[in-house]
Amino acid sequence: MEFLSLITPLFLSLVIGGTFVGIIFGAIPGMTATMAVAVCLPLTYSLGLENGMALLLGLYVGGISGGLVPAILLGIPGTPSSITTTFDGYPLAQRGEGEKALRIGICSSFVGGVISLAALYFFAPTLADFAIEFSYVEKFLIILFALTVMAALSSDMLMGIFSGFLGIFVALIGVYDISDGGNGKLRLIPPGTEYWLDSGFSLLPVLIGLFGLAAILDQAELGVPKGQSREDIKIGKGSSFSFSVFKGQFVNLIRSSGIGTFVGILPGVGGSAASILAYSNAKTFSKHPETFGKGEPAGLIASESGNNGLTGGALVPLLSLGIPGDSTTALLIGAFTLQGIQVGPLFIGNNPETWNAMIFAMLVANIAMFVMMYGAIRYFALVVTVPKHVLFPIILMMCVIGAYTINYGIMFDVWTLLIFGVFGWAAVKLGLEIAPFIIGFILGPSAEVYFVKSLESFGDLTIFFTKSWIAGVLWVLILGSLAGSVYMSRRQAKATDADGG
Amino acid sequence: MTYTRRTLLAAASAAALLIQPLAAAAQDLPRNVRMVIGSTSTGGDTYQNSAIIADALAAHLGINVKVDAVGATEAFKALARDKRGNTIMIFHDQSYLGNLYGVTGYDDPFEGYTVGATVAINPGNAYLVPCTSPYQSMDDILKAAEAGERVRVAIQPGGVSEIGFSAMKNAARVRAPGSEANLVPVNTGAQSDKNQAMWDDLADVINGSIQANEQFTQLPQDDRKCMRFVWITARAETLEQAPEAGMGGTTRDDMLKYASPQTSVTLDGEKDFTFDKEFFFLFNKEMDPGVIAQIDTALTEIFAKGEIQERQKEAFFIPNFLPSEAAQQHLGDKRDTYRKVIAEISGDS
Amino acid sequence: MGSLTQVTIDFEQSHLLFPTLIGGILLTLGLAIVVTRRRRIATAGAYWRGILSRMDRLRLLGTLALTVLYFSLMVPVGDLWPNTGLGFLICSIPYVLATGLLYMHEWPAKQVAIMLAIAVIGPGLVWWLFAEIFFLTLP
Repeated sequence: MEFLSLITPLFLSLVIGGTFVGIIFGAIPGMTATMAVAVCLPLTYSLGLENGMALLLGLYVGGISGGLVPAILLGIPGTPSSITTTFDGYPLAQRGEGEKALRIGICSSFVGGVISLAALYFFAPTLADFAIEFSYVEKFLIILFALTVMAALSSDMLMGIFSGFLGIFVALIGVYDISDGGNGKLRLIPPGTEYWLDSGFSLLPVLIGLFGLAAILDQAELGVPKGQSREDIKIGKGSSFSFSVFKGQFVNLIRSSGIGTFVGILPGVGGSAASILAYSNAKTFSKHPETFGKGEPAGLIASESGNNGLTGGALVPLLSLGIPGDSTTALLIGAFTLQGIQVGPLFIGNNPETWNAMIFAMLVANIAMFVMMYGAIRYFALVVTVPKHVLFPIILMMCVIGAYTINYGIMFDVWTLLIFGVFGWAAVKLGLEIAPFIIGFILGPSAEVYFVKSLESFGDLTIFFTKSWIAGVLWVLILGSLAGSVYMSRRQAKATDADGG
Repeated sequence: MTYTRRTLLAAASAAALLIQPLAAAAQDLPRNVRMVIGSTSTGGDTYQNSAIIADALAAHLGINVKVDAVGATEAFKALARDKRGNTIMIFHDQSYLGNLYGVTGYDDPFEGYTVGATVAINPGNAYLVPCTSPYQSMDDILKAAEAGERVRVAIQPGGVSEIGFSAMKNAARVRAPGSEANLVPVNTGAQSDKNQAMWDDLADVINGSIQANEQFTQLPQDDRKCMRFVWITARAETLEQAPEAGMGGTTRDDMLKYASPQTSVTLDGEKDFTFDKEFFFLFNKEMDPGVIAQIDTALTEIFAKGEIQERQKEAFFIPNFLPSEAAQQHLGDKRDTYRKVIAEISGDS
Repeated sequence: MGSLTQVTIDFEQSHLLFPTLIGGILLTLGLAIVVTRRRRIATAGAYWRGILSRMDRLRLLGTLALTVLYFSLMVPVGDLWPNTGLGFLICSIPYVLATGLLYMHEWPAKQVAIMLAIAVIGPGLVWWLFAEIFFLTLP
């Protein structure tokens, strides 16, 4: 227990302060956990390794968690990993159950964070060895499974799937990135736009365009109806929250946290995929999948425990292979090298004190996150009472900052925000569906790389079925999810037929 | 709508008033400098190195220097847009290698921009094999190619990661013309993909680095993840400046075993091929040369003090300051050597 | 059987494989949509006329115009004081104010004053926090 000597008041205040700042970054639409870590990275050189880590891990946990606040209250995901939180959280808030939704989200985040932390602490090396069993083929199948949620989220199956594929297509615009394994060539770029489009559209501006700006344009089109009064929203009322919401959700909680953790462990699959996978799993296994997307607490639980499950998971490959599990942990490598500490398969054995201190920092960060966010629910909820003519311009301005800073200062990202804001506003009128579109957009690039690389390396289409037992299991999940969606849409069609006579 | 127009007018006239004193104080490096880098990662070596330089410059000149990891294409664009010296760039050999390999978005940096001082070397570029590999050395690999065995090498195409592979092909060509066709690239992306390609048995040799792969070389032989170095591309003179303890369980003497001259990948039958990943400044072509001179002077003073070298070595960089003119000469020669290598092997592959 | 499933990917052309595949699927789905929804598509003109006639043109188009203006001015204004983020600050204040006023239904002096205060304090605070404290690059 020598690491206890590292736990100083400074250490604790850095964790807690980091968590606080992280929550703020996460809660502002367009600001992400990655950005919070990036802006504080230079500070860590003077802080020393353990204290620096305390700050960064606090920021990481806080940043991932804070994203649920605007996702639930405004329908704008604060970070890409809280995208699925909007699907059920926002409908709950619109029904006047925003406060309840916040409580569910925060509790789920905490559980997800703690479970993944336990997985990290007890099984890191074993899990890393399991993760390297996943070649391009298995990773492609994981992405394919996550993509099946497109079908499940569609209210009109044909249009939904079309929107999803359109999302994938739009994500492919630009360069086939060399650093992902591509050949660096451009495609799908209209002539004359190469200067702006060579790197394609970035995820974050697309996301806040579709969810933030588009929603504001929608309201503007309606003439910005006067804001509801506090009583109308009934944030506190009518939302009797009790922990009984979690009754029957035990399996969901554990499974989603586990999925989040596992996606974090797989390098390259990416952070946003964690909550999408957890969500699609929860829907596949649910007894009443038709309530998903309409304010189903189980969906909210899956999404939030999934994305916080990511936090511990993404540290597994970082600390046991030297490979970051997501974009935020990629920055943590920088903090290690600044201190001259190598990360790789020997890290945990060589630096037991740092390792223990990191685990402790994560635990404190999760607890601090829970206490702070739970205590602040009432203040968060006040956001909804801010008049729209004040709220909207401020949101727009924050979206601009988020878009501009996400890639460290690229103006085209701000224009992307506008392009996709207008697209999102018009798309709904055309019958396109935004949820499948954004999921296709998020997962499209990974789907491409893993699909093309599988064929490039193995040269045979059958490889997707014969690679390993893991592939077999994934196919069962994929088919299960698809069958579920088809069954549901049939049942819905019948129900509407019966209604319509 | 009158509000908008009026406020905009007010803002514009306020702007006009404020700019006058600022315009007078030009010429020197501005108070707020943006340093763009050719990498999008803030955890990578380019960022690390640039942050060290930016901190030192900011402290020495009493200005603000902000490092922005915008990536190569965007960095070049930002640099091209700004003639006033508010934007400067730091990148490494990728800037001209990308151009030599014909990667989209890479213009010739010697043509379109001004190459400035070099500041550091990352000596880590290396090639590795699995511990179970029959190949003990580069010689074994080149002999295997001669004997007609297919050797698959995982690289990220189009730059720093490929140049060592091109050199291998060139060496194979020099030793036994035609045998270079047996060295085949496995095109992957980031380091994790290259490692994974090895573990999936898709590659026999992978490109990697001392920093990222050293710990894998310390694993027990029976661990599936275990790797061995076969080649470190840096010059011996560069590695000799590294700390004696080396990195992790690999001492400096161990590293020298894998580098020229102890491990030889020939360039032309006489000299060995070497590659040091050097970081250097890039400027807008039309920028005031006074600013370049100012940076050169500042760097000379900073390196004379000796603190920055310590910090660079802590992060496993080899200090390597050459003022602009010397750097241009040096990097130009280096580029010409690699251009020949790439031309030689692309003729018949 | 074996040869039927075998594929060789030319790395130099591999950037076109997936876009072609997805493009093909999109085209097929698009055709299916056109075929199954042809009646709805035929009435699209009336549908859009309905939307256009119902919309609050001033607020919608006003938002778009202000936003385009805001985005266009930010960089040129910022270039006057490079790397300070002032372009963002100077453009955000009128933008927040104008959008806020656009969205208000009536303009009582008190409300306008509040809006003005918000338009100054909001961007100011944000600029101070991100450009000065967190040292982020803003236009």
